[in-house]
Amino acid sequence: MKLVGIAGSVADQSYNRTLLKFMANHFSDTIDLELLDIQDIPMFNQSDDQTNSEAIQYLSRKIRQADGVIIATPEHNHTITASLKSVIEWLSFKIHPLSGKPVMIVGASYYDQGSSRAQLNLRQILEAPGVDATVMPGNEFLLGEVKTAFDDQNNLKDPKTVGFLKTTLTKFVTFVGVINQMNAKAAADDWQSEDLNATGHVATTIDGVDMHAADWVEQAAKKTGAAEGQDYVKLDRGVLTVDQLNYFLNSMPMELTFADANNQFIYYNHNADAADMLAARTPAQAGNPMADCHPKRAIPHVQQVIHMLRTGQTKLFKLPVPGNGPEKYIMHYYQAMHDQQGDYQGINEYVLDLMPIVKYYLEHTGQVLAKDPTAKADAVTGASAKAATPEPDSVTGASADSEPKPAPTTPAVDSISGASANE
Amino acid sequence: MQKFIAIAGTNSDQSTNRQLLQFMQTHFADQAQIDLVEIKALPMFNKPADKQVPAAVKTIAAQIDQADGVIISTPEYDHAAPAVLMNALEWLSYHIHPFVDKPVMIIGASYGSLGTSRAQAHLRQILDSPELRARIMPSSEFLLGHSLQAFDDQGQLIDQQKLAKLAGLFADFQTFVTITTQLKHANAANQQEVRDFDWDNL
Repeated sequence: MKLVGIAGSVADQSYNRTLLKFMANHFSDTIDLELLDIQDIPMFNQSDDQTNSEAIQYLSRKIRQADGVIIATPEHNHTITASLKSVIEWLSFKIHPLSGKPVMIVGASYYDQGSSRAQLNLRQILEAPGVDATVMPGNEFLLGEVKTAFDDQNNLKDPKTVGFLKTTLTKFVTFVGVINQMNAKAAADDWQSEDLNATGHVATTIDGVDMHAADWVEQAAKKTGAAEGQDYVKLDRGVLTVDQLNYFLNSMPMELTFADANNQFIYYNHNADAADMLAARTPAQAGNPMADCHPKRAIPHVQQVIHMLRTGQTKLFKLPVPGNGPEKYIMHYYQAMHDQQGDYQGINEYVLDLMPIVKYYLEHTGQVLAKDPTAKADAVTGASAKAATPEPDSVTGASADSEPKPAPTTPAVDSISGASANE
Repeated sequence: MQKFIAIAGTNSDQSTNRQLLQFMQTHFADQAQIDLVEIKALPMFNKPADKQVPAAVKTIAAQIDQADGVIISTPEYDHAAPAVLMNALEWLSYHIHPFVDKPVMIIGASYGSLGTSRAQAHLRQILDSPELRARIMPSSEFLLGHSLQAFDDQGQLIDQQKLAKLAGLFADFQTFVTITTQLKHANAANQQEVRDFDWDNL
């Protein structure tokens, strides 16, 4: 379980941070707790919106991607610190990463009260509408007289305290599971908001060119003065000419497709005519909104898959497309693409036939394919075989390797629609 | 004439809490001198190891020391007082203690209908803490809801009933300040306690 921990202090020496570090180390078999720093977060000021600053965006992204949050709060003047309050104000002004997020509150203080009033106050703040966190009820962990609570190795000395903390944390792990399941149910219909008509706009959207135009690529290239031929392009770790980039992409042993964050299909490695492709695409399709690339009945499935990738429910979605006989086993992979900041940038779809790889493997290891007597699904036919099987096994269905699985109400992706199939 | 320090609990350029204090400053000019103090420039409180309090904090502390009382107008962010106001109060209770036994009047303005009721309760709790120990005027709340519509072009409070309430509370506060001068039996002990307060030997 992936959790983030926030110590509500910007003091150099903070026992609340020590407490979180202890939890991260001591309970590493139960939770994966990453500590976040609030040192760089400026004082909240509504006249000087810094929501888009790297420090705030980083914090927001980490919280969004975590299953839950643990906040360790000091107590200053019977309340939480201004530095922690400022963070929460930023995270409830234009963005709301804590919304619906399971939160556990702990706290340490010099006196024996263990930040009891600050914790109560923090609950009240976290439940304000703009913050909207889901705070675990009860289970207060108050660490008083903190100056003598840790040994030289920064471990809590009192085994009873450790035991209580463990009990509390165990409950929180359950709480996170329950709350996130509840949220997933509530969010089950969110996928419908995926706009496959690409009417939105992202930073790289090329305006003023008809997305449906057969020569969208030529028009878009002209409009942007795009590099071509022998022009050099500086890449992440290399410099290639546009021609070299094409040779490179077209020689990949798979079909590649790029759909941007606005759900516009903007590239495929055009190395064969549509008739010879595993998943047919035509040159005129480049630039189209995704809605144009799929039969109508497949649209909801496409929306679901994109939404799972966009929201980080899964990073990679795999889908076999059967019906190609025993000679082919065609897989579609949908991989979420992110920039360096971790923001969603669209989908990298790759399609390949696994059969030559399987055959090569069998040939060189002297093995043959045999049915697994314990298998719950037909090992060869794939997706449609037992679509209703509740537990996706290693070979079958749409949800096989997606972690977490699509929301329960998601209809199983059917055997033909395959998010990108073009008929 | 009594002299008051007025703190708008905000760093926002536009604030109806500041506007409310400015209105009081002019409206009650014949009754008291009200000086507005800004808290925007204070750095984030970080419990510095060298225990050095920034000069800007010392200036405000001195102003409070010399005033007969303090009026704080608080916005409400997330059901509580804003971080920037909490920050000022953290500094004003770190090795300096200008609020000990100082009469304080709490008011607040908000765009919605609640008029910062929760932030005011939060602020009372903060000002009651051992390192602040302010004398907060009890059993009085001035909640200015729908504050964007509350003032006319000249910055005057439009609602006469609200104005009457504010005038009444302000008169009460002036009396409270006078009475509070008599509520000083524990003052020497209070001052001693906060002076003796030692973070290192807790």
